Amino acid sequence: MLRQAAHDGWDLPSSRDEAWRWSDLSALPGIASQRPAGTLPDALPWLECANDGPRLLFVDGALVAGRSRLDGIAIGPVEAEAAGHPLGRLVPGDGWTLRLGRGHAPAAPVQIVHFGTGGANHLAARVALEEDAQASVVETYVGEGWSNRLTDIALAKGARLMLARRTGSAGFVSLTDRASVGEGASLVVANLAAGTADTRLDGLIRLAGEGAYAEAGGALLARGRQRHDVNLVVRHERPGGTSRQVWRSVADDRATCSVAARVEVAPGAQKTDGEQSLKGLLLSRAATINAKPELEIFADDVKCAHGATVGELDRNALFYMASRGISEAEGKALLTRAFVADAIDRIGEEDVRRAFGAHAEQWLGRAHG
Amino acid sequence: MLNITNLHATVAGKPILKGLSLEVNAGEIHAIMGPNGAGKSTLGYVLGGREGYEVTGGSVMFLPGTVRAEPVEALPSSNLGDQEKESPSTGSGRTEEWIDLLALEADERAAAGLFLGFQYPVEIPGVSNVQFLRTALNAQRRARGEAEMSAGDFLRLARAEGDALGVSMDMMKRNVNVGFSGGEKKRNEMVQMGLIAPRLAVLDETDSGLDIDALRVVADGINRIMRAPDKAVLLITHYQRLLDLVVPDFVHVLADGRIVRSGGPALAHELEREGYAQVAA
Ligand SMILES: Nc1ncnc2c1ncn2[C@@H]1O[C@H](COP(=O)(O)OP(=O)(O)O)[C@@H](O)[C@H]1O
Ligand SMILES: [Mg+2]
Repeated sequence: MLRQAAHDGWDLPSSRDEAWRWSDLSALPGIASQRPAGTLPDALPWLECANDGPRLLFVDGALVAGRSRLDGIAIGPVEAEAAGHPLGRLVPGDGWTLRLGRGHAPAAPVQIVHFGTGGANHLAARVALEEDAQASVVETYVGEGWSNRLTDIALAKGARLMLARRTGSAGFVSLTDRASVGEGASLVVANLAAGTADTRLDGLIRLAGEGAYAEAGGALLARGRQRHDVNLVVRHERPGGTSRQVWRSVADDRATCSVAARVEVAPGAQKTDGEQSLKGLLLSRAATINAKPELEIFADDVKCAHGATVGELDRNALFYMASRGISEAEGKALLTRAFVADAIDRIGEEDVRRAFGAHAEQWLGRAHG
Repeated sequence: MLNITNLHATVAGKPILKGLSLEVNAGEIHAIMGPNGAGKSTLGYVLGGREGYEVTGGSVMFLPGTVRAEPVEALPSSNLGDQEKESPSTGSGRTEEWIDLLALEADERAAAGLFLGFQYPVEIPGVSNVQFLRTALNAQRRARGEAEMSAGDFLRLARAEGDALGVSMDMMKRNVNVGFSGGEKKRNEMVQMGLIAPRLAVLDETDSGLDIDALRVVADGINRIMRAPDKAVLLITHYQRLLDLVVPDFVHVLADGRIVRSGGPALAHELEREGYAQVAA
């Protein structure tokens, strides 16, 4: 009875809703009704970086100041809003804000670790970069429970942001992004969904200035009954914009990976260059991969390409490798790694690329151990 | 080294090998010739353990004489019946025993000392030659209970082997066989063979697609890597020209799934002059 009430209270979307047709949110009320253990972790997955920058540790959505280094990042009310988004609107509006003034470009990435100990937690964030400012943000989700995030991104003219996220936790991670990319600005969002958590990623990226660049993609790795679900819209509002969406999904056992990625080209957004590459690799016959690339074009001088393929591992390659002494399990891992590399190798920053590569590797090693 | 007895095999339910017998001793090179569709590649795949190539009768015993630090669990060491021959271990820890090749997985066969040179080497996008070979080499070493090779040692070895076969380090860093010409693929097979240093190599049409210079490089590679008292080669070809450069000790004609004739190197010349139909009749 209590559960039912909680469920009604959450008012979550159902799979009858087109944008949520591949999702399964049924576990969320149950997770939310759990009490967080609140214990602090010993070791945290900070990245080894050449330079140290700000570090934020959130446990169940609350900042642990003693183990964080704010370095100018503000904690408190956040200007972020996702009106009407069923998960985004659950976020109350407190969280962290990174604001960089004109031309500021810190040498080190901002690192954020979200550690969950059970139950539901909600956190808002905002990254606002003024003209020609540059930043990198790396977020890592570990632990358990349901981590629900709303992130607002505003890039002024010529600003550049790289936002990399990886989920290695159990439970559920839902990320809702609202981004506006200004004239000649660049936004790169790289995701790695591994671990055992189910994930839901919702993004609306507006190329709001002329010649803006946006890239959103990543690797989704799922096994067991795990589900990763991406719903992404890249909206070209002004001329000369470029967007890239490169997603690589790997599903083993009875897992499901879904990517619905749309490119919208508004009237007048001439010379738009949009590319989508959604590829899936099924490691088991019982696994599911959904790939739905969509184009909605209201301008005539645009270049948009999209491709979606779902396949299995190449048996010929596996035998070739076996004939050289590589076991089936190791061969599968090698081929899967190569498949995922398309997405991970796009991460420009070496420290981050290496860490994400190793993270994916670890997942693959376990998947085929 | 290799003892094939009355081997029967089907592919997609269709009998292809129909009672093939062949004995290869250490130190020997055997050529297998025969018309298209005779079952030559099928023999290679059956020996290599490819899925879909189903053995329906007969046996294949393999005596690699591998130096092994300790017995490996994956390899059967008993129940070999009549064929079991075991020489006592020598001071260096060398054990020799016949292996039921057909009981092993493909990768275990490779670790035991079998190498299969492909008629059509496979392209592997996203995996570099270096990564592929190092993974292979170390997998084999692990399976034999040996220590893995360091990255440095591996690269030195790879460079030396590449140099000998005209495969640059640049090519070694490229993805396995992707964008390689036919000749480059075959040379790459030889680089792999050189690095892996197998006991028995089954080379399927390694000469096809090679111009005369490349043929010489590949032939030199086969002679250098595999001409040794403790190694053996099964050379599948249907051209005499390779056999002028890698001179076989024995030549066999495979037709309709069986060895229908065997002889010395002269048999290859006879085949070249008179054709398979005549000789196999
Ligand atoms: N994968 C396969 N499926 C069905 N038939 C096959 C397959 N591979 C080979 N065969 C058949 O097996 C026979 C022997 O082929 P193969 O061993 O390739 O001959 P060779 O190498 O001597 O030219 C041919 O009749 C060929 O059509
Ligand atoms: Mg053939």
